[in-house]
Amino acid sequence: MAHVHLEDGAFTIEWVVIWTLIAVALIAIALYRLGGYAIPTRKLAVAAMCVAVGFAIFQIEIPVFGGVHINLTPLIGILVGPSLGSLAVLVINMFGAAIGHGGWGMIGANSIVNIVEVFLGFFIYRHLRCSWNASRFFSAFSATAVALTVSAFVALVIISISGIQGSTQGGEQTFANLLIMAAANIATGLVEAVVTGYIVSFIGKIRSDLLEMAEGEKRPETAETSQEVGTVV
Amino acid sequence: MSRRSYSRHIPDFRLMTFFAEDGKSVVHRMNPWTKAALLAIVILMAIIMDDLILLAVLYLSVLAFYAAGRLPIRLLVGWYTLPVFFVVTIAILLIFTEPGDPLASIEILGKRIAITDAGLMLLVTLLVRALAVVTLSLALFMTTRYSHMAYMVSRILPRPLANIFLLSYRFNFETSDEISDVVDAVHSRNGNMVRGAAKQTRLFAGIFGLSFVHAFERAERIAKAMESRGFSGEFPNVEKLTKPSHYGYLLVSLTILALVIITYSRYVSDLIGWW
Repeated sequence: MAHVHLEDGAFTIEWVVIWTLIAVALIAIALYRLGGYAIPTRKLAVAAMCVAVGFAIFQIEIPVFGGVHINLTPLIGILVGPSLGSLAVLVINMFGAAIGHGGWGMIGANSIVNIVEVFLGFFIYRHLRCSWNASRFFSAFSATAVALTVSAFVALVIISISGIQGSTQGGEQTFANLLIMAAANIATGLVEAVVTGYIVSFIGKIRSDLLEMAEGEKRPETAETSQEVGTVV
Repeated sequence: MSRRSYSRHIPDFRLMTFFAEDGKSVVHRMNPWTKAALLAIVILMAIIMDDLILLAVLYLSVLAFYAAGRLPIRLLVGWYTLPVFFVVTIAILLIFTEPGDPLASIEILGKRIAITDAGLMLLVTLLVRALAVVTLSLALFMTTRYSHMAYMVSRILPRPLANIFLLSYRFNFETSDEISDVVDAVHSRNGNMVRGAAKQTRLFAGIFGLSFVHAFERAERIAKAMESRGFSGEFPNVEKLTKPSHYGYLLVSLTILALVIITYSRYVSDLIGWW
């Protein structure tokens, strides 16, 4: 699993409220940037589709290293941008909470972690493509790897600051204990980074217009050597 | 598990909807606002309660509620895998490092580590908290019809978020069917026999990439269809929800009273420590 989602009861009520308020502020900024209540219908439909695909893909187990589930949140950021992506991950977290993949009270904390992934995924990909002229595979791989690594540490910091409810351990000790969890997440995140790299290469070949937001303008792919995605159907 | 489900440990949305639409139990007949209020109160109880026995009573009450909805217990056990995994991931090291009396110890690389009673108790407490909420959440979604859920979501969430939630709720079925079809196609052509992490990763990336492309194309078609039908930014609710019955209000009031007592006992003065 490339992401750890916190379950209800892990934090005290004060921290649940604090993280929820921060997440509400981030979502409010995203809504404001999208035009408030006047979001175009196409953007609504695209965000909803991203939620549905992200949620459906999460249910498929990739049979590598004993089975890996991925969420593709950085990819959602690359495809729809940080604002719409933030709304999408919030709704994914709501669906997740409905089935026990993260708690209802933890939607705030979990959304902050996912918004970091969406945000970094988009901007690192954009920077690598536009400034460095890097290949789609490399850009998507790097953006996802960095986004998931940073988000693993953000999760770690959130847990360490809040403290596990009922535990007598301080923040530093909790941080040290959870470093192994972060390392496991980062390792699994590399699988998601490779998958995202292949997906972006695939999308770039058949519908490069879908990457326009992250790439600024249509840019022909030149030296994609090792990213050929096998025929699936 | 339905035919379309690809995992025994992730709840199948189609199966959940089947139970919600076709169930006839007393929980199905309960007002959805009452069930939603109970979920909110149980979430707060699970966060605020710190006594394991009280938490166990809460969990057993929720489990009885789930069973009263005539929902499958065996599937529920499988669906517990994810929440248990998440709790254990975070708390596994605490059972060794939490100060307390050692219960069992093992020597690794010349260093002796021990499971402590306080650490084990902490893990169990976190598990019971998480499972109480997950069980009631599943019970709510498996006993409430889509039209009622749509009405509640449109009342609770800001309009753009409610629209995304409601659209994606419906898209979930089409998307998971499409991905399942492609995975079926891969399996029928010995795709599951592919060896090597690189090949597997590339194969599944193709499946997922195709899903995203199709999703965008479908979203564009749907957006055009919605606009051509005069979509004004709000989905009309076909079926409105009535207010909870007197029994519903009574049940919610009693649970709120219990929540107030629990909160007072935890943060102000212990009222329930007598037992």
